[in-house]
Amino acid sequence: MSSRPATIEHHDVTCPFCGLLCDDLTVLVDDELHPDAKACAKATRAYAAIAPFAAPTIDGKPVTFDAAIAQAAKYLKRSRQPLFAGLGTDVAGIRAALALAERCRGTVDHLHGAALARGMQVLQSRGWHTTTLGEVRNRADLVVLVGVDINVNYQNLIRRYLAPAAALQPARRTSRRLVYLGPRRAQPSSPELPCEVIATTKSLSETLRHLQALLGARTVAGPDRGQALASLATALRAAQYPVLIWAPGQLDSLDGDLTIAAACDVIADLNKTQRAAGLALGGDDGGQSAQAACAWLTGFPLGLSFAGEQLDYAPARYNTTRVLAEGQADLLLWISTFARHLPPTHALPQIVLAPLGTELRGKRTVYIPVGTPGIDHAGQLVRTDGVVSLPLPALRDVGLPSAATVLSRLHQALD
Amino acid sequence: MQAKITELRGARIYDPTHGIDGEVRSVFVSGDGIVASPRDPGTIKELLDLSGCVMMAGGIDIHTHIGGGKVNIGRMLLPEDHLAERSTRGEYPRLGSGRYSPSTLLAGYRYAEMGYTACFEPAMLPANARQAHMEMADTPIVDKGAYALLGNDDFLLRQLAGGADPKLIQDYIAWTLHASQALAIKVVNPGGINAFKFNQRRLDLDERNAAYGITPRQILLALAEGIHALGLPHPLHIHGCNLGVAGNVNTTLATIEALAGLPAHLTHVQFHSYGTEGDRKFSSGAQRIAEAVNANANISIDIGQIMFGQTVTESGDSMRQYAGSAFAYPKKSVIMDIECDAGCGVVPFKYKDSSFVNALQWAIGLELFLSVTDPWRVFLTTDHPNGAPFTSYPHLIRLLMDRSFRRDMLATILPEAAAASVLGSLEREYSLYEIAIITRAAPARSLGLSTLGHLGIGARGDITVYTDHPDRERMFKAPRLVYKAGEQIIREGKIVATPRGATHVVRPEFDSSIERLLDTYFDQYMSVRRANFMVSDHEIEEFGQSPLIRHTARR
Repeated sequence: MSSRPATIEHHDVTCPFCGLLCDDLTVLVDDELHPDAKACAKATRAYAAIAPFAAPTIDGKPVTFDAAIAQAAKYLKRSRQPLFAGLGTDVAGIRAALALAERCRGTVDHLHGAALARGMQVLQSRGWHTTTLGEVRNRADLVVLVGVDINVNYQNLIRRYLAPAAALQPARRTSRRLVYLGPRRAQPSSPELPCEVIATTKSLSETLRHLQALLGARTVAGPDRGQALASLATALRAAQYPVLIWAPGQLDSLDGDLTIAAACDVIADLNKTQRAAGLALGGDDGGQSAQAACAWLTGFPLGLSFAGEQLDYAPARYNTTRVLAEGQADLLLWISTFARHLPPTHALPQIVLAPLGTELRGKRTVYIPVGTPGIDHAGQLVRTDGVVSLPLPALRDVGLPSAATVLSRLHQALD
Repeated sequence: MQAKITELRGARIYDPTHGIDGEVRSVFVSGDGIVASPRDPGTIKELLDLSGCVMMAGGIDIHTHIGGGKVNIGRMLLPEDHLAERSTRGEYPRLGSGRYSPSTLLAGYRYAEMGYTACFEPAMLPANARQAHMEMADTPIVDKGAYALLGNDDFLLRQLAGGADPKLIQDYIAWTLHASQALAIKVVNPGGINAFKFNQRRLDLDERNAAYGITPRQILLALAEGIHALGLPHPLHIHGCNLGVAGNVNTTLATIEALAGLPAHLTHVQFHSYGTEGDRKFSSGAQRIAEAVNANANISIDIGQIMFGQTVTESGDSMRQYAGSAFAYPKKSVIMDIECDAGCGVVPFKYKDSSFVNALQWAIGLELFLSVTDPWRVFLTTDHPNGAPFTSYPHLIRLLMDRSFRRDMLATILPEAAAASVLGSLEREYSLYEIAIITRAAPARSLGLSTLGHLGIGARGDITVYTDHPDRERMFKAPRLVYKAGEQIIREGKIVATPRGATHVVRPEFDSSIERLLDTYFDQYMSVRRANFMVSDHEIEEFGQSPLIRHTARR
């Protein structure tokens, strides 16, 4: 008879698998992890996919941690232009990665770097007027999802924030309207809060500019979905706290920054005489934490190079795809400790810090298994709204080190 | 085994806590603190001759925005600041950037370089406390602490609107200090940040918040009384109503009167000292404010001096920052409503000596410094970065100490503004002893930091040694030696060690039954669980690697 490990029940668990960081889960832990029904489908899959202990490998052959660290340090010492990418880790991991990147004159980018940069570009050009999840939950009476597909991500937005049982302003909750503006394929369906759909045929940015014109009582030639947009404009004017929500990672790569800027302009126009605010959903896989910690530690958001005598910030240039395509790196250090994100294809030597399932067996590859923050070790992450951060618990101990620990050991090995 | 003792000999000592005004004495450092003169001189392992130098305790900034959401938004919003000012390899232990919104590492280095060894973040939103502590943990060398914001959170406003028992308010204040790991309580535009969420665009002392029907006066008194009853060392830290509004001198005077003798600290009072006289309907209210401060021993102030040039304003006051965003330079700003807790506004701004308003703001700050008679109730601040970056302190010290320099500077501002201020007629010059009060002894006393801000036996070894120089700006800019907790960190202007500073918190006792009430409130309305809202000691000490120093309340 096999002995099964005792079951331990953890309460108020923060889920690390998307930028919402829902912190009301109960998770049963035996030799697997079983979140309760409050976990969304994505989180349920992620907890189920958590792997057991794995051994480090060099070129696919199992080795000790010490041997893997020594080999990785050898690669780092030899490298003149290392690329630190993925960066899917917690705050401690980001701190350690940035310190090591500075030491090794590396370039840093996150696996959702393009989406993060999309928001950052709008912030840096015009600023914005935003709100947080707690405000939406209690005060919003009209919520417009700007192309946000909550069927694939941020699934708990409705349960926790758009359709909660109670609100500080109960009348706002009772009368709350949810409108989806975007391509029809991604319209949300929820029994908890019916959603009105304004399906767009033009780009989202054009649609929002049209909406902005309608708010300014300007007439627009040849309107697309004119009637529905006109009634949305009327509803926005009548609302006490309308909130526009977008998700940079789900926006079209060519239209994304234009869409965010247009949404911000709509909000700015409304705020001249009434109240309104925006909210961005994103920063998954530690992205929000990476962006925030990079900004406070260096003064710059991601898309940063430590190669020169001074910091060099150029997000359009220092992104993973471009750095690899242009041969601007001679080593890839890939960190991805949440979901299984494989490093992009390249021909460089690589050091991979990731849980089992992302180990790579190619030539010149050092794979060092690390734990997932919030599963294997305690930690901290910054939530999508950039205000709230949450503590992550350790739910089990299978002997996996944190990314921060491995990065610090690599750093020491260079001294 | 006896720890090594270092004798610092020959410097003139300015230690106002002990009434020492420029006497030449030896100070003995051992371990992390200052010790008595050893009976056996043989135990002195190191002797430094500091003849011709001036020694003070390490500087303490009682109000500087160094960490937390709005500060980091400022960094992200303004790459122009960071591209223009980047450190080079070897200049500091690690790279950094930014002049008025410096990276955390650079902020720590530059404070230390200036002889400051403790900095206090005055506007930590409890909802944002975890990140504020992360940023402070990454601000090296200096000790840190933060003031938790209350007075716009829906929990407190609901309680006040429902006529809550003052004891419950006290418990809530105490719980908030624990939950957010704070050293004091601050209120920003009491009730106004909340009112802005309901589209109120102004809220005077006796105007009612539309949602809760209560006034800023009620909020101020509830908090000031609660803090007093708890016996917290630092009184309520007040950023009042109507920041930046012409005529707000009357609001500020009414606030002092409303407090009716309760201890209170009015912060960046320069921004709250404006009259409406003259052709431009903007005038100095500094003399009226100074008179009121002089007459009310319960009131302390810091100034929030402005300096000319580019900076960024970062405040919890979303209502006033939204109004100010019309004057943003460059033309961009961030305004946020936050977590049924508070808000924030980040607005870049350029102060110009050719602008009547800006030039008069400059004069008003100096008028206040020079007209409040008791230096123990005035603290030197620029409200970094709102009035100017903290790196302008040496220049500000020279303005205070050197009358002829001050007059030269006054002659460079817009003449109409100079004429609208009595600054030119103020003869006072601060002495080194008074500078030691407003930058060390008084802030430490106000915050209840008994081992900081002085050089007595038992003090922490936070010591700054300046080479005496008649140009006080030059002197205060680059101390010769700085010690942090007994360790030499600056030698001849270079950083030689980067210890992690401690985090100061206050831990008043409270009735824990309030946690049940809060559990229900968090479950019903908030976006996180109460247990996760609270920042644990482990997060500060292990994740942040910053030792916690726990202060107690008097009661």
